[in-house]
Amino acid sequence: MRYVTIPADKMADYITALARRQKVVAPVEKGKGQFAFEPISEGREATLTYIPTILPPKKFFMPQYETLLEYDLHEGQKMQAVVELEEMVLFGVHTCDLAGIACLNTVFSDRPKDLNYLIRKNKIVIIGLECVAYCDEYASCALMNNHLPNGGYDLFLTPLGDRYIGHVNTYIGDSLVEEGGFFRDATGADFAALEEVRRRKREVFHDEVPIDLDEIPRIFAHSLRTTIWKEIGDRCLSCGNCTNVCPTCYCFDIVDKPNLDLKSGRRIRVWDSCQNERFAKIAGGESFRKERSSRKRHRFFRKFRYPVDRFGKFFCTGCGRCSRTCMARINLKETLAQLAREYV
Amino acid sequence: MKPRIAFFDFACCEGCQLQVANLGEALLDVLKLVDVVEFREVMSEKWAGPLDIAVVEGSITTKEAVERIEKIRARSRILIAYGSCATIGGVNGMKNRSPLEEIRRTVYGEHAHTFPTIATRPVDQVVKVDYYVHGCPIWPPEFIEVLQAALQGVPCFPPDHAVCVECKLNENVCLYDKGVTCLGPVTRAGCNSWCTNNGNICYGCRGLVSNPNTKGAMDVLARYRIPLELVLNKMSMYNACREQGKTP
Repeated sequence: MRYVTIPADKMADYITALARRQKVVAPVEKGKGQFAFEPISEGREATLTYIPTILPPKKFFMPQYETLLEYDLHEGQKMQAVVELEEMVLFGVHTCDLAGIACLNTVFSDRPKDLNYLIRKNKIVIIGLECVAYCDEYASCALMNNHLPNGGYDLFLTPLGDRYIGHVNTYIGDSLVEEGGFFRDATGADFAALEEVRRRKREVFHDEVPIDLDEIPRIFAHSLRTTIWKEIGDRCLSCGNCTNVCPTCYCFDIVDKPNLDLKSGRRIRVWDSCQNERFAKIAGGESFRKERSSRKRHRFFRKFRYPVDRFGKFFCTGCGRCSRTCMARINLKETLAQLAREYV
Repeated sequence: MKPRIAFFDFACCEGCQLQVANLGEALLDVLKLVDVVEFREVMSEKWAGPLDIAVVEGSITTKEAVERIEKIRARSRILIAYGSCATIGGVNGMKNRSPLEEIRRTVYGEHAHTFPTIATRPVDQVVKVDYYVHGCPIWPPEFIEVLQAALQGVPCFPPDHAVCVECKLNENVCLYDKGVTCLGPVTRAGCNSWCTNNGNICYGCRGLVSNPNTKGAMDVLARYRIPLELVLNKMSMYNACREQGKTP
């Protein structure tokens, strides 16, 4: 296990040096207090104090529109599987989003394995970044146990005021800190400072929702028929924002895009959402989830119940994006608290 | 023989024809697939015979237009309505918000009697429509997609979810967060959030989603302190014909 440090005022230069060698993607300010992961060429374009980006880093692991195969019907039926991949360094990923990527890894490694995802993922280098304060009132990362790093990165940086301490987690991480001689090995004082940051963090990060994580499965076992779903369903506009911004929502549709010769074309994967009107619609016009209330319930169950049964983990990272983006102010923390009150 | 295709216009600004004429390189590929026999904006030739595909722009606003569209329908195997005027009535629908006589006098003054018109209708409230390309103007990639489907004889349904979906996939900052009213949450997608990508608001030109949450939308407006009047006004800019009949 190797720890290194870098002076805070050298960070921008370090990112620039990385970007000289390869594609670097980092949080960039988009106005109105919002951020997005975007390719940068200079370190000063990146913002290292940011709240969760509009879209989570999942957009690099499973892009909004991704070609899966190319076909050609000119002679017989030719098909060629395609993996669109891009090497990049994903800089400044918060612990909530590292947890989100871990969830996607779990899903796409499940059989049948999703090779497009797994091949792409192997080309993405991840540099994590610790939050020392809450982003805003929507976060529930401590409830979900995602406020502290839990692996899933090559290098993880924690701000210590005038410097950052970095945890080197992989061989790639090792080569990352060799870049340009910006880092030196951490000393006892650095470790003490890190301990102090974590101690203060434990004091601040807790009790976002008045429940325990272990209670959630029991709460959801009893919440199938509660009227809470109807209440939030009545408010929901089905705009799909909550699922599109969710770091663990991975539902997609697959469509064929013919070229103009009508004989050849591409088969692409597009993000889909259980909140969309047609998502659960089948032949004959029937829909399994016609009511908004049942779609809302489905979304919550896909975070707090079904993945627990199947993968033994929650698929909510506590990033707060769904609540932050909801025009109808459907708030995940409030809904959890409401469900808990009803059960108790 | 390539399928015969003709472009027709009714009450409209002909801007959607312009979009097709402006397809650029893709237009050359389109011309390899079809034989364009009539297209007023780009050629002088006319065609009175049978058609494989009629592409119709504009809404139906006069008795003569009703007869003309019926005749076009009768000689066309497939009819594509394109542009808001044709698919949902579009801005022409604003006429329906006032009594016909009154609106005629406002527009034509003392000569009103020489311009007999009827209430605005989208094409499918008069004849059967097989495919729709929504939008004001149409989004060129969608026109090509629908044309491809028509040529392949497969159905093509415009999305029935909100513009917000595409806007979010494009990672735009929400206009409501910028303090601007936008019709994205109730308007059907399919334009790749063309306007909001470019800093404009959504005007609802593609028509409403089939199942908008009206009550929920009103609550949202109240929360953002947006007067309902303002939004209804914006909505009826393109969607005034909606009350008249169900549009796809």
